[in-house]
Amino acid sequence: MTTLSVHPELGAEVPIGSIDKELHKLWEQDDARTNASLMNLAIYSEEPGSLEKNSQAIRELTAEHACRALLIGIDRKAPEASIRAWITAHCHLSHGKKSICCEQLSFALTGKATGRLRNTVFAHLASDLPLIFWWQGELSPIFENRLYSLVDRFVFDSSSWVNPDESFGRIADAINDATRELVVQDLSWTRCFQFRVSVAALFDDPLVLDSLPEIDAVRIEYNPANRVTALQMLAWLATQAKWNDGVELELDVSRKNGGKEGFSFESEAGKAISVELVAKDASAPLGLVQLSGGDMTVSVSRDAGATHLLRRIDSNGHIIEALGPTDVDEPAELIGEQLARGGKNSLFRKILPRFQDLLKK
Amino acid sequence: MTNPFREDLVSRSRPEACTVVIFGATGDLTHRKLVPAIYNLAVDGELPPGVKILGFARRDKSDEEFRSGLEELNRKVSRSGHDEALWATFQENIHYHQSEFADADGYKRLSDRLDEIDRERGGKGNRLFYIASAPEFFDDILEHLKAAGLNESKDGCWSRVIVEKPFGTDLATAQHLNEVVNRTFQEKDTYRIDHYLGKETAQNLMVLRFANAIFEPLWNSRYISHIQITCAENLGMEGGRGGYYDKSGALRDMVQNHLLQLLSLVAMEPPTDLSADGVRDEKVKVIRSLRQWDTPEKVAENVVRAQYQAGHVDGKPVPGYREEDRVDPESMTEAYVAVRLMIDTWRWSGVPFYIRMGKQLPKKATEISIHFKDAPCVLFNALPGAEPGANVLVIRIQPDEGISLRMVSKIPGTSLRLEPVKMDFHYATSFGKGSPEAYERLLLDAMAGDATLFARRDEVEEAWRFIDHIENAWHQSKNPPSMAEYVAGSWGPKEADELLQKDGHTWRRL
Repeated sequence: MTTLSVHPELGAEVPIGSIDKELHKLWEQDDARTNASLMNLAIYSEEPGSLEKNSQAIRELTAEHACRALLIGIDRKAPEASIRAWITAHCHLSHGKKSICCEQLSFALTGKATGRLRNTVFAHLASDLPLIFWWQGELSPIFENRLYSLVDRFVFDSSSWVNPDESFGRIADAINDATRELVVQDLSWTRCFQFRVSVAALFDDPLVLDSLPEIDAVRIEYNPANRVTALQMLAWLATQAKWNDGVELELDVSRKNGGKEGFSFESEAGKAISVELVAKDASAPLGLVQLSGGDMTVSVSRDAGATHLLRRIDSNGHIIEALGPTDVDEPAELIGEQLARGGKNSLFRKILPRFQDLLKK
Repeated sequence: MTNPFREDLVSRSRPEACTVVIFGATGDLTHRKLVPAIYNLAVDGELPPGVKILGFARRDKSDEEFRSGLEELNRKVSRSGHDEALWATFQENIHYHQSEFADADGYKRLSDRLDEIDRERGGKGNRLFYIASAPEFFDDILEHLKAAGLNESKDGCWSRVIVEKPFGTDLATAQHLNEVVNRTFQEKDTYRIDHYLGKETAQNLMVLRFANAIFEPLWNSRYISHIQITCAENLGMEGGRGGYYDKSGALRDMVQNHLLQLLSLVAMEPPTDLSADGVRDEKVKVIRSLRQWDTPEKVAENVVRAQYQAGHVDGKPVPGYREEDRVDPESMTEAYVAVRLMIDTWRWSGVPFYIRMGKQLPKKATEISIHFKDAPCVLFNALPGAEPGANVLVIRIQPDEGISLRMVSKIPGTSLRLEPVKMDFHYATSFGKGSPEAYERLLLDAMAGDATLFARRDEVEEAWRFIDHIENAWHQSKNPPSMAEYVAGSWGPKEADELLQKDGHTWRRL
């Protein structure tokens, strides 16, 4: 029998059957604390040591997003079947007075016990609150209908996937297969949110908008680790501007060498649009989105490490520049951004087929 | 052609690039509220590229001097802090224009300057005129804008005006101001700002009422006993405010605009849609349905005015109202007002609304409380002890924005004893992220052409019609209702308590 212990990051270890009772005790210790929850936030990982790392992320997240956090660490290959649980609370001062706390339940499941994930972990959700499920790493066999059908919002980071084409196929199948509406959120997509807002803001200018049919060249620069983000950005531009697929350009370059790749589109009016995706080692995740045609060039750019995006309009020599906020980079920060916005993320679902086509190319 | 990149991106009206011309640019409002609000919009990426600020004021200043003064204040008051790199880019879009408000040539030069700015940014441009000057200059500014042709929409661009309160000092001056405004700008291009409507909880009022099925069926005279709206301030006439306040008073300064706007949001019928006029049509019906206190006797019966006497607030001694700096020692201006209102509609028949606003009260708080009728206590009326009290829904506007609901619960134990308990929702703890300042939202709405959160002409005039009766009874009748007194740091005069006691109610303890 395993001895129950106190973990410095995860809190007190508790028997699986006594989690609710132990949580009550936790709150009875100090009546100056208020328990706040707007959602259940589950974080799933099969990476060793993830529970501690994710507990630190939750500590930051709960400062702005009150939730019941459920951390799930899985070791499918362990020979022994076991389930262990820990409880703790992350507390933050509100207006320098009352302590506002969020509960955290951590579960470590190994071996064949991983099959009990659903029954064990989801029995401890705060009732009536949505379940946000953040899946870290590659999709494993545990990602299946009985899991995602319980989830209100499924979050993942495709930048860490070895084979994004195949994994996005599974995501698309899950959306179609789920017994209830499954909202999916890719952190790679969140990484280009401010770029998309900035591009949209540039086209709010009537002069720029008038030049949209003239656009014949697009250049996107990105960090090699974030090709998915660059392709999603391109899929968004093409979907929203109603560009059709064109003839593939013969660009004598190779992505493998950290170089360029090309795509071609046609505008609704039949104008050819050439697109260059350029990977740069020193780039921010997304470094540049530039659209040009006629006398107009508009761009949104971000230097690596910069605290702001630069929005730029060059209209026949007239230049307007303005700074805008950048996208955050770290996964925990991206989750925070996403939770702050909510919504059904219908735009992502809208561009998903186009993005999958680009991935296949 | 619509911007396809906006589709499905952000669910709000789209702000358009423009030049914001601020009249009264050297004043406190510009430095503490307006420019920091525009700066914060830039920080959040909400500001369209190409927005310029042009300050218009009488003092002689260079662009650099103007920017430097704004930067100094922005460092102190900006909600999102002050970022050197962002400010450096932001301030390049700030300019200063020196002119007297009544100097026609100044407006000619303003027109040339705006054309030059438009040329720099590649052609035509939208203009947003923000009149933040003292009210006595409103007429001059508007007439000269018209004379210079700056009021006209040209080349598919718009020209709008934001007018700061006060919108007149009575019905006649409000009508005059509205006529001057509407001679210059169309009503659809006129934005009368009431910053209370930009506050998060005020905006949430409609969501609370119309997006939750549990409240609206109870939101009427059948279930609601009465409604209280309180705006308490723990300040007096500090910083030389006495000069302005003594000419205005609590009724005109706060009730005519902010508190009647809140009242209309609480009491209105569901609008047919969320368009600006859809919402404002319903709000104005509420103000129109207010029973008029049109004789001194009715005013004496339904309105209490008071001034504070010397006392202590937050442990510090404070002078009485008439001893305050720049206040007439024989002043008959009220620093406190409590009004009992009746709304003559089917929904609110017989339900009193009580509004109170006062200076030098124990704490700063603005909130609306909905007091429901007692549940039939047939089951529990034989129990010993006091009645447990009715349900109260409280909507806190500021500070500590949130909503609470008082319910009755059984005290744990073997005996059956009832006590009220409070369910509390705090914006700050549920949504950790801070709300934008009211001016940020409102400026963005004006750039987007969304007037939902701005007062319409008829709303303003109907509110003055109601207020004028009370002012006339106080200041023009032969037998004016008396001026009550309260000790600074207390919750107001006993006469205000008696106003509710007549109906069997008491003020909610804040």
